[in-house]
Amino acid sequence: MVDLLAAEWLKVRSARSTRRVAIAVATVVGLMALLAWYVARLYDRVRADSGGRAEVSSPAELAAWLTALCLAVLGVRTITSEFATGMIRTSLTVAPRPGALLLAKAAVVGGIALVTGQLVTFGTALVSRGIVGDRPLGFNAEPLSAEVPVLLAAGLSVLMFAVVGVGLGAVLRSSAGAIATLCMLWYVLPIITINLPAPWSARVSSVMLQELPRQLAGAATADGLLSPLGALAGMVAYAALPLLAGAVLMRRREP
Amino acid sequence: MTGALAAEWLKVRSVRSTYVAVAVAAATVLLGVLFVLYAGSVWDARPPDRQPEFRAARPEQGFLPVVQLSLAVLGVLAITSEYATGMLRTSLTAVPRWRTVLAAKAVVVAGVALVVASAVLVGTFAAGRLAAGDRTMGFNTAPVADELPLLLASIASVVVMALLGLGFGAVCRSAAAAVTAVVGVRFLVPVVATLLPPPWGARLAGVQLQDLPATIAGVETTGGGEPAVGLVLLVGYAAVPLGVAAVLGPRTEA
Amino acid sequence: MCGGPASGSVGGVIEIRGLTKRYGRTVAVDDLSFRARPGAVTGFLGPNGAGKTTTMRAVLGLATPTSGEALVNGQPYRRLRQPMYEVGALLDAGAVDGTRSALMHLRWLARTNRIGRARVEAVLAQVGLTAVAGKRVGGFSLGMKQRLGIAAALLGDPAVMIFDEPVNGLDPDGIRWIRELLRSLAAQGRTVLLSSHLMSEMALTADRLIIIGQGRLIADTSVGELAEQFNRGVLVRSPRPTELTAVLTGAGATVVAEPGGALAVTGLGPAQIGDLAAAHGIAVHEATPRSASLEEAYLALTASSVTYAAGGGGGPR
Repeated sequence: MVDLLAAEWLKVRSARSTRRVAIAVATVVGLMALLAWYVARLYDRVRADSGGRAEVSSPAELAAWLTALCLAVLGVRTITSEFATGMIRTSLTVAPRPGALLLAKAAVVGGIALVTGQLVTFGTALVSRGIVGDRPLGFNAEPLSAEVPVLLAAGLSVLMFAVVGVGLGAVLRSSAGAIATLCMLWYVLPIITINLPAPWSARVSSVMLQELPRQLAGAATADGLLSPLGALAGMVAYAALPLLAGAVLMRRREP
Repeated sequence: MTGALAAEWLKVRSVRSTYVAVAVAAATVLLGVLFVLYAGSVWDARPPDRQPEFRAARPEQGFLPVVQLSLAVLGVLAITSEYATGMLRTSLTAVPRWRTVLAAKAVVVAGVALVVASAVLVGTFAAGRLAAGDRTMGFNTAPVADELPLLLASIASVVVMALLGLGFGAVCRSAAAAVTAVVGVRFLVPVVATLLPPPWGARLAGVQLQDLPATIAGVETTGGGEPAVGLVLLVGYAAVPLGVAAVLGPRTEA
Repeated sequence: MCGGPASGSVGGVIEIRGLTKRYGRTVAVDDLSFRARPGAVTGFLGPNGAGKTTTMRAVLGLATPTSGEALVNGQPYRRLRQPMYEVGALLDAGAVDGTRSALMHLRWLARTNRIGRARVEAVLAQVGLTAVAGKRVGGFSLGMKQRLGIAAALLGDPAVMIFDEPVNGLDPDGIRWIRELLRSLAAQGRTVLLSSHLMSEMALTADRLIIIGQGRLIADTSVGELAEQFNRGVLVRSPRPTELTAVLTGAGATVVAEPGGALAVTGLGPAQIGDLAAAHGIAVHEATPRSASLEEAYLALTASSVTYAAGGGGGPR
């Protein structure tokens, strides 16, 4: 398994999708810094007549949300690119255990996503707070130390999305299909559930992917129905189920 | 051009991904009915005096993003699958003019999107009204004629999404990159725009693809632009990526 | 050189026993049995769609047999712990991620079986790709991709090597390079299984021939035996045909007079015919061996594969 992990790490390191995703993530962080700078400048200009208060949503959480999509695409590509080129046959010839191969991919992409997620969320939090200084803009009302649980959970969501990407890629074997499905889970489904009449709206919304991190941090705003442990279980289930389905299918389908 | 069109139609017809995309889009009818049945059960459970104030979203609008996304993927794959397999070189040998190939693909993709979107959205609309029966659930109170502009504009938005996918596919040449770009334009930019402080938030909100059907139909929205301007913007979403692709050329080498 | 367990570059064997593979109602391979032995290039020959690739995938554990088995060194492939030391395979040279460099492609492959970086450099040099090791594989010509695929197969210095249509699309230089490489691998005592649909290529490369058609074994033979089987004698022209006929039949040959005064002689080679004629003072104007080309022999065999199959699947031994 160590050898498989090392080989997958070499693969990810040397693929073009990884470089593109890295550029996308860097762009996200840059945009968040730009947003913070723009908001600060705007605040200074209108402070006089707005009464000195403004509400801006947290750039760090927004960064985590966007980074999650980037890393999920990376997760999808690590497996679908092999199906697209037929290289999966070579991979399975040199290491003839499909389940172990998929697990190694998930572990490597998950590891990258874990580190990237935390770096991006905490990095964006520090940078945006540094840029806006002591201007009261809502997201910096509390000290950074109080924001730590939310940031940790948001960073973890990046890991979860990346592993969901690997699983969906293994199940669907198509980049387009997997990324579209991911987008359904990540964005379209939550929008639809908001339209459901109460009480199911809140119930279904609380188990949507994007709602889980805040519930995990115990900081859910209104509709949070899950305990932090329940939210954690939900995140693990989201990551594990597609991966499990992918492993079973990779065993049964001939490459 | 007729030959190129016929060829593209055969290609679209003969790949499995087309049927998957259409099936996902068609599932909307079923989902819409389930949604209305659930909303109807909530309506039934209300005391009669509170029933008139009940509002449920239009089912065909609620599931519109699903239809848009699945046909955008169809548009993306119409070109990226040829890059992936190298078949584009064969296509360009048969029809050596890139813009003719692209135009033929655009016509076929738009045609498929038009037919599928019309069937699915009108189907969801009709099935939703049938499922609602005589309950007053907000979405079914206006006469059908009043709903037509929004329905037609929504169908047009699906066609535009499919062409946007085709354009991005031709520019990116990779399914993963193109689908991600489509998702970015359709779903991410609006979210980021709403987070921007004034005046940029409002400026960007008015031009979002998701709001254009309502703008064109003259339904009240946050953007609240002119219908004609909305229509121009909608066409632009399809035309700009395709125009860029036409200028860039096929770029089949490496 | 090789950073892992000691390789055994001799003694490997591929054994196919009653292998059958069905896809739905289509039978791709039908009760196929043969062995590929060390020290020889075993040519695996058949028309397109005969089941060659399916058989090779079964050997490599990529396809699960419907019945029967495909064994490498006495084991099913999927049971091998570090397969690269036992089997090297080239299935489809184009099946690589074009965005990766040749060096990184080989490095990740090597890493799965704990093969060191020095060995990667060595195989790159062996196939002549050192100069382009850092270049993206997507920009490689088909010939370069074939070399990369062969480098990958060589990484573990395995005793068994499997190549699926390795010369497809190559230029004459590339074909000769692969031919010589395969010959030298077999000369080192390795078991080399080589598939092709081109008899002309096999005649120059293979020692043994396994010929299949519609998934069934048609012939398990050698190049020499196949040539012998389709031998149609020697065409001889002489100004004194009657006397020559007497001499040759006296030496045990069968002689048939052909239209135009020529003689068709079987049972003696051209050299023996010439010597006998000279000894009896008979002039010979022509002595041409008329063995059917291997290509014709192969076409004759595969064209009648249905007839052979009806007879029980076995061919001439």
